[in-house]
Amino acid sequence: MSLEQQGLLLVWGMLVGLDLASVPQAMIARPLVAGVVAGAILGDVGTGLRLGVVFELLQHDILHLGAVRYPEYGPATVAGVSVAHAATGALGIGFGAVVGLFTGLLGGVSLHALRRLNTRAVQRASDALEAGDAATLVRLHVTSLARDAARAAFVTAVGLLLAAGVRGFLVGTLSVRGAMVVAAAATGAAIAAGAAGTLRLVGGRATLGWFAAGLLGGAAGAWLK
Amino acid sequence: MKPPLGRTLLRLFTVQGSWNYERMQGVGVGVAEEPLLRDLAVSRSAAAYRAAVARAAHFFNAHPYLCGMAVGAAARAEHDGTPPDQVERLRTALCGPLGSLGDRLVWAGWLPLNSGLALVGVSLGLGWWTVVGFLALYNAGHVALRWWALRAGWARGMRVAEALRQPVLQRAAAVVGPGMALAMGAALPLAAGYLGGPFPGWARALVAGVAGVGLVLLRLPRLGVTGLRFGLGVVAMALVVGWAWR
Repeated sequence: MSLEQQGLLLVWGMLVGLDLASVPQAMIARPLVAGVVAGAILGDVGTGLRLGVVFELLQHDILHLGAVRYPEYGPATVAGVSVAHAATGALGIGFGAVVGLFTGLLGGVSLHALRRLNTRAVQRASDALEAGDAATLVRLHVTSLARDAARAAFVTAVGLLLAAGVRGFLVGTLSVRGAMVVAAAATGAAIAAGAAGTLRLVGGRATLGWFAAGLLGGAAGAWLK
Repeated sequence: MKPPLGRTLLRLFTVQGSWNYERMQGVGVGVAEEPLLRDLAVSRSAAAYRAAVARAAHFFNAHPYLCGMAVGAAARAEHDGTPPDQVERLRTALCGPLGSLGDRLVWAGWLPLNSGLALVGVSLGLGWWTVVGFLALYNAGHVALRWWALRAGWARGMRVAEALRQPVLQRAAAVVGPGMALAMGAALPLAAGYLGGPFPGWARALVAGVAGVGLVLLRLPRLGVTGLRFGLGVVAMALVVGWAWR
């Protein structure tokens, strides 16, 4: 992977991290989108799509309700794709998941830290805010946005470093069979998270009927394919 | 579109940029509302403008796509000369309904519906075009909702509750729920087939086993297992097994 590609992945991861909550919430932070673009940067859209599906399913376990704390899978997918790309085909999914899950955990922790920093900044500026000082208000907001950009870049950078470590240490050390065990386990975990998250959303009996109809249709489609 | 309304709409896209545990979205809401309040400095006084800006930045928390309704309504109320305590009460009263409506309509409906459709598309081999379609369709709804919410609030002011009772909102909520269930129902087996397809038989059995155990654990809330924790645990165990099995 070239230095330019790593730089592009870092910028993309930062944009993805910003999109999650700060700006513009257009869902480029969704793992499917983050993964495809990361794959395109590396010239491997197929791996980006495959790892994107894994983390998209994991994302369904999360509901962004209120002030709830959750892992951040956008930059995690970007870092995951950078390592999955180094292994052949489906085997890379396991390596990508190892990197992505740890990066997702770090992303969640960093979001909590960011919000605490924002809280302190608001407390410091509370007199000016109560006086209706619009310049302070806008400055506070822009500074917080910059802080989130720095946070997202940091999370992506750590993820990319972790990916470089996994590429150097794990890929090639595990046998093909061993790599397949990791890939299969990560895939199973993603399917479980996607199914559990969906079942949480599908509440009433009427919606459950639609879910069952979709499940039958999807199963038939998968079988025919 | 009036320039201040356009500026407010643009600023609303950053409404959660300064989210914090004290005022939550308050600072972002204040930043978004400020362009609509500038006229107050001319039509009334600089003090009235500053007092309105200070109120706009107080505690607020709702769904980010629907914040515009509170922003527009509060700004209109300030222009109409509504007493400050009533403006504050309006903002407080809107937090709950706008939060629950947005969560139901977007986070639990429109977003998983579009995500499910995208998963179906990718699993059926439509490739990256699916992702382009996902972004286009999702954001058509997203931007329309933000714009509608801001305009509805700005047009109605203190009578903004009328907008929340609009039949189109109730119909949308009634449609996206079943749509989401159908799309996600179809997406799960298709995505499982797409991801599991390249594996040999024994690995597919492992995928099914892990998925089954995981589903049971994740459906038992008392255990406190989350997708992330389960994923990390399973991958750690798989690394050990994979290391030993040469």
